[in-house]
Amino acid sequence: MQDFFELAVGAAASGCVYGLIGLAYLLIIRPTGIINFAVGEWAMLAAFGGYVTLTKYEWPYPVGMAVVLGLMFVVGWATERVVVRRLVEGGAPLLAPILALLGMLVVFRESISVTFPPDPHPVPDAFGIGRLELGPIGGTYQSFFTIVTALGVFIGAWLFFERTVAGKAFEAVALNRRAAALMGIDLTRVTALSFGAGAVVAGLGGLLVAPNISAHYLMGVPLAIQGFTALVIGGVGRVAGPLLGGLLLALAEQLTVRYAPVPAGYAQGVPLVLLMVFLLLRPTGLLKAKV
Amino acid sequence: MKSENPLALRATPLIRGAGAFIVLAGAAFFMGDYHNDVYRKLLLWVTLALGYNFLFGVCGQVAFSHFAFYGIGAYSIVIFLFQLHLPFPLAAICGIALCIAFALAVAIPSTRLEGFYLALVTLALGQLFIVVLNEGGTVTGGTGGIANYRLPEIYGLRLRGPWYTAVIALLVVATYAVLVRLDRSWFGRACRAVRDNPEAAAAMGVDVARTKVIAFTLTSVLAGIGGMVYAFVDNTVNPPIFGIENAFLLLFMVIVGGAGRHAGAVIGAVLLFLLPFWLSPLVGHHHALVFGVLVVAAILLEPRGLIGIYDRVADRYKGSPSR
Repeated sequence: MQDFFELAVGAAASGCVYGLIGLAYLLIIRPTGIINFAVGEWAMLAAFGGYVTLTKYEWPYPVGMAVVLGLMFVVGWATERVVVRRLVEGGAPLLAPILALLGMLVVFRESISVTFPPDPHPVPDAFGIGRLELGPIGGTYQSFFTIVTALGVFIGAWLFFERTVAGKAFEAVALNRRAAALMGIDLTRVTALSFGAGAVVAGLGGLLVAPNISAHYLMGVPLAIQGFTALVIGGVGRVAGPLLGGLLLALAEQLTVRYAPVPAGYAQGVPLVLLMVFLLLRPTGLLKAKV
Repeated sequence: MKSENPLALRATPLIRGAGAFIVLAGAAFFMGDYHNDVYRKLLLWVTLALGYNFLFGVCGQVAFSHFAFYGIGAYSIVIFLFQLHLPFPLAAICGIALCIAFALAVAIPSTRLEGFYLALVTLALGQLFIVVLNEGGTVTGGTGGIANYRLPEIYGLRLRGPWYTAVIALLVVATYAVLVRLDRSWFGRACRAVRDNPEAAAAMGVDVARTKVIAFTLTSVLAGIGGMVYAFVDNTVNPPIFGIENAFLLLFMVIVGGAGRHAGAVIGAVLLFLLPFWLSPLVGHHHALVFGVLVVAAILLEPRGLIGIYDRVADRYKGSPSR
């Protein structure tokens, strides 16, 4: 049982990271319909930001984190401004920005690979290395920090969509772009903000997972796939979707590694199999959208 | 067609195809070993790009499984030949059957759904294929792949050196011929209709789902055949070749060259294949950065790709645009 609880905390922490990446997709898909595979690279960029500010220059954690997330907002906003806006306003088919962002995925990754040597770069834990025991449940500080932070972000996102006018504007755009524009909602601003917020959320995921896996220029695509799987399992309809999907995915992965009688390498296949199964059998995800 | 050249009028597709084959295959006999190797890979990329262009450019489906099918073809022929010891023709047929089975299993459920599903399912399939290759133990040889085999004698013939390059040239020409004919048939028009407006196509009596499934299966099988030919180019197969990176590169080739045009696919494949050779003195191994920038620039500035630029220049020099 001890073993299972240990596993559950670790799984919950990775699940929260997948959920954050999934939320980054969701923030962009809802108002624009654009699937942005570059979110994984945004997480990678933030992990390298963490390496530079926290490991190299040894800034205090909150300062480094704030600076990195601030820069991520700029990156997301700039991506929208330079690559996406022309295509959307020029009336290009939806596929055009998706493919352009796929190109940006390569641009982000290779920019980092040009700048940094190809070995893993360490990023520190938020509260140093240590264990926290709460009755039978125990885990590292970083696991608990990840869980609490991610829950905070999801509650914040839920409040934003449910309780604020700006959130309602996002929802309106998600429901019907044209009608929303006629109601006086600035589509351009909503799109730009969704990209900025998506980059911040993805960056937060990257920063939180970086102490475990180290910043590496190839870390983006696996995170992009895991985050997308979380989104598909949970469903695009609700903010809680990616969190639920991420937790289920991480639990399935950890259980496969620990208990399934297959080589450990096959654990990499778990998100892929789940992704295919859900896309083919239940493409709307587990949580139904509110009507 | 203009009648300035009397020969051009009588050049039937068969004669033109044979001519192209002789030129492409003949070139191999004037090259050394190194250039032959590069040339073979160039021809294989062109083959893949032609097939992918039919799927993505003509039929409008985004899939990332093309290299997985290339790999299924390559691995299956090697495994059938040297582990199950099947005769060559039977091994080739089994490999093709395997490609068809996988393609149908992916395409039938995912084309029922609208939107981007095929891309996502095939992305997962492509990644999963690599996981299976890496963990496949003695069957797939794990991360090291399979090596130490060579092309068996077929009817007493052992093809090697430039003669094997000629086989690849034949593959390119045959693929081109099949796809161009298909493109000009009712099926090609159905594919373009499905790409441009599925509802209108359905209203005109095109079975949208079936058209998509057939196009996906057909191009996947073409990729699988390419993979079978590739298996005897290096006489080794290993996982990294068939990964998602090369699937992206293939997509980029078609976008940069000009999606939906066979000539565009050829131009894109040749350019992006040769670019690293020219760029390596300048940027070392970081040519992928240039590819990324090229793709984004192509989508933003010239969605019809290089062939679109060529068309415009050609129109300007002709004075008045044709049609």
